[in-house]
Amino acid sequence: MTHPYSLAGTRILVTGASSGLGRATAVLASRMGAQLIIIGRDAARLEQTLAQLEGDGHRAERRDLRDTAGIPEWLARLASDIGPLNGLAHAAGIQIVRPLRSLDESVLNETMAVNLNTALALTKGFRQKSVCAQGGSIVLFSSVMGLTGQPGQAAYSASKGALIGMCRSLALELAREKIRINCVAPGLVNSGMGERLRETLPAAQFEAAAAMHPLGQGTAEDVAGAVVFLLSGASAWITGTTLAVDGGYTAH
Amino acid sequence: MKKSDFLLQLDNIIEAPPGSLKGTEKLTDISAWDSLAVLGFIAMVDEKFKVQLAGKDIAACETVADIAGLLGDRITP
Repeated sequence: MTHPYSLAGTRILVTGASSGLGRATAVLASRMGAQLIIIGRDAARLEQTLAQLEGDGHRAERRDLRDTAGIPEWLARLASDIGPLNGLAHAAGIQIVRPLRSLDESVLNETMAVNLNTALALTKGFRQKSVCAQGGSIVLFSSVMGLTGQPGQAAYSASKGALIGMCRSLALELAREKIRINCVAPGLVNSGMGERLRETLPAAQFEAAAAMHPLGQGTAEDVAGAVVFLLSGASAWITGTTLAVDGGYTAH
Repeated sequence: MKKSDFLLQLDNIIEAPPGSLKGTEKLTDISAWDSLAVLGFIAMVDEKFKVQLAGKDIAACETVADIAGLLGDRITP
């Protein structure tokens, strides 16, 4: 009997795979048997991720996803090269911390472009019959900031909250195509963006945010476990939902 | 950036009239220098100087001059 959490025989595309949550997701998915296509902007770090993957047949592609118009065609070409995809984990994103007094429209637009528009374009590309032939699962990386707020996070919160709303509507559209789409909403983890926040936020504010996690700060692997669950057959009856993976942050 | 322009940027961050800060003030005496001002300062430095300051380095500053000192020779007299 196939293990319900197994990804054996599946082909999964992971964005933002050069570090943090995207890297951890790719690594765990490979351990669960998936063939990975990992996407990132930094070629050297992408190669580091590639070296950590288990199994054979993985592929790394350097790509700036901000060119959203080209995404559907790129995915069609990719699927034509290697075969149809079964899953997509979209971890790529940016977090620009700005208090309202310093928040101008360009920051908001850039945040929405990278965090939201890319998700829509990737989903649009994934659902093409030539890309996703037999249904599949999409996981979008939202954040606890999409469910709650913190000072200085207005742009990031707006983009991550928008992902959650978009996910619900897309779930209804895509169900007939046997494509599931869900979000994870990670809390503060000790790698990638979480580490950059630790370096840039005033210490008191970072410590206050960290203290909001009853189970303590998480790891990228904690989040990857939830993503792999949503990519796997174990979550076959779950779509349009947002799974908080936050050590209890949103239980407050 | 000239020190006078840097001080104007700080005036703007703490929403004080231009020319308010002289550079010798203690940060604890500036009531508007709060956590949001620090975030605004980090954002300004990132944008104008392409430098990412560490929160702990800013927290170690006691005066406006210390804040300017974080940027070394990027601030000219």
